[in-house]
Amino acid sequence: MAASNSSKLFRVGRSILGSLSNNALGTSRSSSQFADMDFLSQQTRTFIQMRTNLKVVDNSGAKRVMCIQALKGKKGARLGDVIVASVKEAHVGGKVKKGDVHYAVVVRAAMPRGRCDGSEVKFDDNAVVLINKQGEPIGTRVFGPVPHELRKKKHLKILSLAEQIA
Amino acid sequence: MRLEKCWFCSSTVYPGHGIQFVRNDAKIFRFCRSKCHKNFKMKRNPRKVKWTKAYRRLHGKDMTQDSTFEFERKRNRPERYDRNLTENTLAAIKKIDKVRVDRESRHHAKRMKPKKAQLQREAARELEQSISMVKAPGALQRDPSLTLPIKVKVSKPEKVDNRMEE
Repeated sequence: MAASNSSKLFRVGRSILGSLSNNALGTSRSSSQFADMDFLSQQTRTFIQMRTNLKVVDNSGAKRVMCIQALKGKKGARLGDVIVASVKEAHVGGKVKKGDVHYAVVVRAAMPRGRCDGSEVKFDDNAVVLINKQGEPIGTRVFGPVPHELRKKKHLKILSLAEQIA
Repeated sequence: MRLEKCWFCSSTVYPGHGIQFVRNDAKIFRFCRSKCHKNFKMKRNPRKVKWTKAYRRLHGKDMTQDSTFEFERKRNRPERYDRNLTENTLAAIKKIDKVRVDRESRHHAKRMKPKKAQLQREAARELEQSISMVKAPGALQRDPSLTLPIKVKVSKPEKVDNRMEE
């Protein structure tokens, strides 16, 4: 009787100890995980692909837009490329409504783009300007800085509307 | 082609090097290498980071005002190409650099001057205190070259009495 009691207690104690040690291991693992995440918090920015949410920086009426297709580029669109996008959020009474599908040109990308002199440029966010099939912008104003790369891609109208060319 | 200054450490960024970050308010930050870029991402203030030029100028370690700096100011008007002007400019750059380096070394020497006397005093003290660890005290008495010359006041002995006795 005594022996069985002691053995039960022993088993109970062991299980408690086991759970305690498991807890300790769990916490130490998560703390190291946090340390790893701090190290990896330097993000690697990538292409603009399907389902990418982008900001619209003209006065066409749309606010946010989701990329449906990156024309050109297997991995996705970069700074200066044209994409097909669906309007997810729009201003009330703008030229463009929610659910419309439009072409758009990427004017700001967080992913660094190499310039022909060897340096790299990157912006703070991902932004587009809506254009029509011919490449002319739908809106009449463009906000924020735009890159030089648009000149090579022949989006001269956007460059002329821009406040600042980076 | 333009030689820019790194925003963080103020060194020159040559073509083909570095990353340009354009913020949404159209301010451009140029970095010479990823060290500066990563420090910027960590939101460090260059005026508090010891190895940057901003810190050194702020704390008086390097020259702040000098007429040689006037030659390096940013000019936005392009000059018409003139071969003589180009040759003269290239020769002037060399001379101005030499002058600037000379002035900087003089500034450094002036900054370091009071240190020399302090070092001498410290060295004398250390010799006095710790020479016993290197040489035995007996050796010091036998070989007087190891100690610093000590000024001792010697009083003249009286010889008049001895002659009288004889």
